[in-house]
Amino acid sequence: MRMPMRNWASAGEPWVWLNAAAVTASLVMVFGLLGLIAVKGLAHFWPHDILEADYVAGSVQQVIMGEFVESEEVPAGQLTTAGVSVPDGVEFMQRDLLKIGNRDVGGFDFRWMLDADLKNKRYPKDAIAIERREWGNFYGYLVSVMEDGRVIAEGELAWNVLQERLQRALGLHDQIYKIEKNEIGSVNYTIERMRLKERGYELDGSYTAEKQAEIAAIRSEQETIYKSLQESLIDLYTQANRDSIKVRTAQGQEITLPLEKIVRVFRPNAMSLSAKLSFYGEKLWEFVADDPREANTEGGIFPAIYGTVLMVVIMSILVTPMGVVAAIYLREYAHQGAMTRIIRIAVNNLAGVPSIVYGVFGLGFFIYFVGSGIDQAMFPEALPSPTFGTPGLMWASITLALLTLPVVIVATEEGLSRIPRTMREGSLALGATKAETLWRVIIPMASPAIMTGVILAIARAAGEVAPLMLVGVVKLAPSLPLDGNYPFLHLDQKFMHLGFHIYDVGFQSPNVEAARPLVYATSLLLVLVIALLNMSAVSIRNRLREKYKALEM
Amino acid sequence: MVSTMQLTQQDEAMKETAAQKTASARRTHSIDISAIGSGSKNLRIENEEIAMCVNDLQLHYGEKRALHGINMQIPKKRVTAFIGPSGCGKSTLLRCFNRMNDLVDGCRIDGEVLIDDQNIYQRAVDVADLRRRVGMVFQKPNPFPKSIYENVAYGLRIQGINKKRVLDETVEWSLRSAALWDEVKDRLDDSALGLSGGQQQRLVIARTVAVKPEVLLLDEPASALDPLSTLKVEELIHELKDDYTIVIVTHNMQQAARVSDYTAFMYMGDLVEFGSTDDLFTNPQKTQTEDYITGRYG
Repeated sequence: MRMPMRNWASAGEPWVWLNAAAVTASLVMVFGLLGLIAVKGLAHFWPHDILEADYVAGSVQQVIMGEFVESEEVPAGQLTTAGVSVPDGVEFMQRDLLKIGNRDVGGFDFRWMLDADLKNKRYPKDAIAIERREWGNFYGYLVSVMEDGRVIAEGELAWNVLQERLQRALGLHDQIYKIEKNEIGSVNYTIERMRLKERGYELDGSYTAEKQAEIAAIRSEQETIYKSLQESLIDLYTQANRDSIKVRTAQGQEITLPLEKIVRVFRPNAMSLSAKLSFYGEKLWEFVADDPREANTEGGIFPAIYGTVLMVVIMSILVTPMGVVAAIYLREYAHQGAMTRIIRIAVNNLAGVPSIVYGVFGLGFFIYFVGSGIDQAMFPEALPSPTFGTPGLMWASITLALLTLPVVIVATEEGLSRIPRTMREGSLALGATKAETLWRVIIPMASPAIMTGVILAIARAAGEVAPLMLVGVVKLAPSLPLDGNYPFLHLDQKFMHLGFHIYDVGFQSPNVEAARPLVYATSLLLVLVIALLNMSAVSIRNRLREKYKALEM
Repeated sequence: MVSTMQLTQQDEAMKETAAQKTASARRTHSIDISAIGSGSKNLRIENEEIAMCVNDLQLHYGEKRALHGINMQIPKKRVTAFIGPSGCGKSTLLRCFNRMNDLVDGCRIDGEVLIDDQNIYQRAVDVADLRRRVGMVFQKPNPFPKSIYENVAYGLRIQGINKKRVLDETVEWSLRSAALWDEVKDRLDDSALGLSGGQQQRLVIARTVAVKPEVLLLDEPASALDPLSTLKVEELIHELKDDYTIVIVTHNMQQAARVSDYTAFMYMGDLVEFGSTDDLFTNPQKTQTEDYITGRYG
């Protein structure tokens, strides 16, 4: 049966369709965004096949080897003006981007080439890709494995020998890393603390002989430890330098690579699907769990994840009590008049202040004023090098806490005002004072609303980058802000952050092409981290809601 | 129109029988109560101990006067009902007895309310302590979102009593007094919000009784309940009056007739008539009272 148009309209159908369309558009945008960054970011870790081709362009003729990255259509006119000869009647030509690696040999590791110039494309099974600790990837062929400069395996045999020796080299590297980073780091940390202690005693004139002896004892103990560590390091280095491999580039140039400088070697063209999958998983794990290498363009981003989460957690711990207390005062104790109205407007406006302004405030007030004050008062021994008078984790957390304070205040006030008056009266009628009523009934009942505020605060703070650049985030932090050295949580240290990492890798990187997939991958990870933080807060809120669901009465 | 007329007639018929019944049931108190309008200082309830004495109590909400100088005495261990049309000030008066009106912005109170010869509006009075002595139950059941046990123990914990044995005993005793023990004894740790409306209201009464107040103020305690729960609450009031002075505000005249010993009729912020329930319902002294209880307005 046909419904007349007028009925269709008056029944509200167009309205329903409009709403549905708006929801659909939002969903498409959200999933489109996530899909794009996921595809672009996650594809990076797949072991792509290595292409070998004869590059013939005019008089230039050479063999090219590398990973195919992407291709695009270029107007012929543009190519002509660039001096490339284009066949007549062709309007567009395909251009390919290859990751050719071998930066130590050729100078750059990405290259655009016209597809038409690449002749005789092939995927040799024995082509190898080497991930190195410096100079980026190497593509080519394995010639031989050497021990102390002596060839011990060649040809197909070399591949298997290499696998074994690489495991050994990686094990040694782990040991060296552990000693350098953790143990020597700990020794240095202790010695530095002793230096500060000594200076502190000197400053307040209480450097007695007894204390001198104490410090000297600790120092000599640490130095002994350091010496033994040094010896084992030297030993490990000689062991690690034992093996090397000889490799040949596609152009036929042979170079020698010490195994110590190699992270992994693989032959993507010869890998089965399952091998590729396990390789992919390994690379993903490395990305999430390892330290960055090569100016953040390789390796993992664990310190950035760690820094982001730690900063957000500290921020939440700071902002929640501040916001809740402020909201309680405004809603429960303050006289509701012009003054409270003005304060409320001011609080709401604070939420609209651009975040970089908070960064400037944090730098000017917290770091230069409060921080240097703290240094004068509490860490005179470290001066002139600042302790808290310089950007750091604590200042970043406090600045973001200030930034998100309005959100928590507004949400808490909302929650407090929604609690039925009968609840307060019920408690007061039993002889409870106002404070007892607040603590025993009102605040527990408002806790879901408080959590909503915290969730919004987390969402805002975790994604904030601009103010952090001024108050504590760095491109590469040498150590984690929470570690095994007393006092474990180093609030004065600078830290890495996913948001800043995206900016840094995307726009400050020396190797833009190599960094681009990492921008996407890091973005995806940032979204996931925020989602995870939010989801944990949401689950806490839901539990509280379940417990105090009287509001729904 | 016709149907409402009939209804009113029925109502009246019911009221009369109810009034007669209570009248015969309550013949035992032969107390002479001179029903006197507000403004007069002569109100006295003879042969009764007095729990609270209200002297010339005036209350303003901002500029508006809500109580126009109330004088009355609330007898000890009796049920006193306040009736009257909506907005007549009966709840406001009730809330004066435990200073609940202090919470209302712009509320000003003159006159005095004496409990044990002490004016509760004196500056030195500890309001929390007063409210402990004068408990209150509200129109809508308002259990806290805690367990049944914790709801009843709330008042004690506020007083700093945390001994498990004392709490256990008091909780059981209070729930028994509120005739709720048998229904909830197996689920004391469940949320109080899972109880029915009637049970919740009895829980709130138990919670109030747990702090052992002298006076119980009930502000339309059954108006949000179904008839069966109403009956239970009314029975409970009957039980409790041996131990507590009860003041109840109600819209329902039958209820007032059923549960109360004394009834006060209020109108437009004035205490129009106050007397024993039997007298007030069978032989009202003022035409306003008569009009109201016969359903001519209100």
